[in-house]
Amino acid sequence: MIGVPAGERGQGVPRVEMQFDLPHRQHEPRGELGVRYRIEGCEGETIRAVEHSVLWYTEGKGEEDLGVHFFQRIADRGLLPPTATSGAFSTPLPQSPLSYEGVIVKVRWCVRVRIFFEGGRDFVSEHVFTLGRIPPGRPPGPQPAAEVRR
Amino acid sequence: MRLPRFFAKKRGHRQTGSREWGVVGDGLFHGTLLAAGLFFGGLLVTGVAAPEWRINHEFRPARGTILAKGLARTTVADPPAAVITNWRPCLLVRYEAQGRLQEAWSQGSAVENTPDREVARRRLDAWALGAEIPCWYDPASPRTVVLRRGYNWWLWLLSLLLPGALVLIGGSGLVRGLRSWGKSEERLAASAGLGELLDPLAQPALAAPGFPAVPTWDDLVNSPGTILRHRLPIESPENWTLVGFGLFALLWNAVVVVLAVGAGLDLLGGRIDWWLFALLVPFLAVGIGGVVLFVRSLVLATAIGPTQLEISDHPLLPGGRYEVLLAQGGTGTFQSLELTLELEEQATFRQGTDTRTEHLVVRRHPVAGFRDVAAPPHSRFEARTVVEIPPDAMHSFTSAHNAVRWRLVVRGTAQKWPAFSRVFPVVVFPPAGEMAPACPAGVAAGERTVAEGSVP
Repeated sequence: MIGVPAGERGQGVPRVEMQFDLPHRQHEPRGELGVRYRIEGCEGETIRAVEHSVLWYTEGKGEEDLGVHFFQRIADRGLLPPTATSGAFSTPLPQSPLSYEGVIVKVRWCVRVRIFFEGGRDFVSEHVFTLGRIPPGRPPGPQPAAEVRR
Repeated sequence: MRLPRFFAKKRGHRQTGSREWGVVGDGLFHGTLLAAGLFFGGLLVTGVAAPEWRINHEFRPARGTILAKGLARTTVADPPAAVITNWRPCLLVRYEAQGRLQEAWSQGSAVENTPDREVARRRLDAWALGAEIPCWYDPASPRTVVLRRGYNWWLWLLSLLLPGALVLIGGSGLVRGLRSWGKSEERLAASAGLGELLDPLAQPALAAPGFPAVPTWDDLVNSPGTILRHRLPIESPENWTLVGFGLFALLWNAVVVVLAVGAGLDLLGGRIDWWLFALLVPFLAVGIGGVVLFVRSLVLATAIGPTQLEISDHPLLPGGRYEVLLAQGGTGTFQSLELTLELEEQATFRQGTDTRTEHLVVRRHPVAGFRDVAAPPHSRFEARTVVEIPPDAMHSFTSAHNAVRWRLVVRGTAQKWPAFSRVFPVVVFPPAGEMAPACPAGVAAGERTVAEGSVP
């Protein structure tokens, strides 16, 4: 789990406990992804909205690209903490792109829960899972150095 | 109120700029462009377009008599130490406006100005003293009279194009900034539509229907093969290099010709401009170098015969076996000819103000190899083989700045010529249980089944 705190002095750092339906977080294409989460540590602060998303992003040498597969925004006061401190959502997964650990390109899938507080700050909690079973890519034996084209 | 931080943490130890400050800076930049567009547009509309429109729509027609004529001179300072003088024909006209006789010098537009006094004088000669001519006067100011109506379309175009472009770029950037303010990147990415319209360059490449981030393959199957189903298109960066060399040689030598003609005319006139000659020599040397480089690239690209690859099916599936026909044209003997299946990663990133793209081959599978082959007379060397896509293969992937591409590569060495390589991109789909491999099982990958041509 990667939590990105707002980093404000004097304010608590929220914590999002995420539970996947498949504990090993290894999902198959066109399978169903289901998660339940619990928000803790934001006592004394008013939550304005919560966003759920399932997305892939690229990592590596290139600029980051992002593709959102599932997105849901909850801004209804009755469904937000402190009334409800936990939530769940599910979505069928697509056929592609599959998770990939390349050398200069990596494709990662994750579930994000983003919490928006009154006053403007937000907190995002990211939970990576794997889609498909692609082995990591690595350069084959002796080969010329990476070629750079401008 | 909390001010956003200048830096925010991305992942790992990389520090990235604050998104909020980025939006503020972007908004300021585009707001400035929008304001500049509106300002200059306003200046052009009120200074050029509106007066011209009034002359054509509100000025009243009259008949006037030319009483006197002369040249109006306009002097404009041209720093540091010069002035530009413009001349315009000007007529004193008597005409009847609103029941009263008026006498006034005619007004003219800036486009009638010429820096050549003789040209202005010749234009003036076209008007005869005492002649009766049509004229148009301003009903709001009857002493303002013009002798010509119509539109200067290039001025209208200028007043629309330049400020219009500034308003369009600034306005769309500002709307994009305002639209993204306070929204998460997931929400922005999820709400497509307007974003694609406002920032088309940042959109990902076209994806195959039902397969997000898998590139389309339409361009790869629109050419039928002679023996197998599809002829794969060749991806040849060398051809673009050739076009680049050609364009450079053409443009550079055009400049050289202009300089040479100038120098030649000087010589014919009995003058020698040593500075021009000194400039011409290095320019000529670079021009000749450009032509030599282009001709050399052209010879290298055309001397070795064309390479063709045909494949039995497309797109490809992991674990699938596909028949491939390799055809190599050209005379002489090829010391080696190899066909490999490669997986290449491609990442585009910014380095300072440059945009760079890095390519790295991360998988390479030999498919077939031939030694000392030669095409039969008036024919080509042909070999049929089978390529197997690894069952655990990553599918082809493409996004705005990253890609994972599969390709078939033919590498060869021809006698008396440098080694060459030709790339044929293919698209590999994610594994799908219900889709059967295209080729009958039992044929090992890389196995050479048929080779037509001589293999000594």
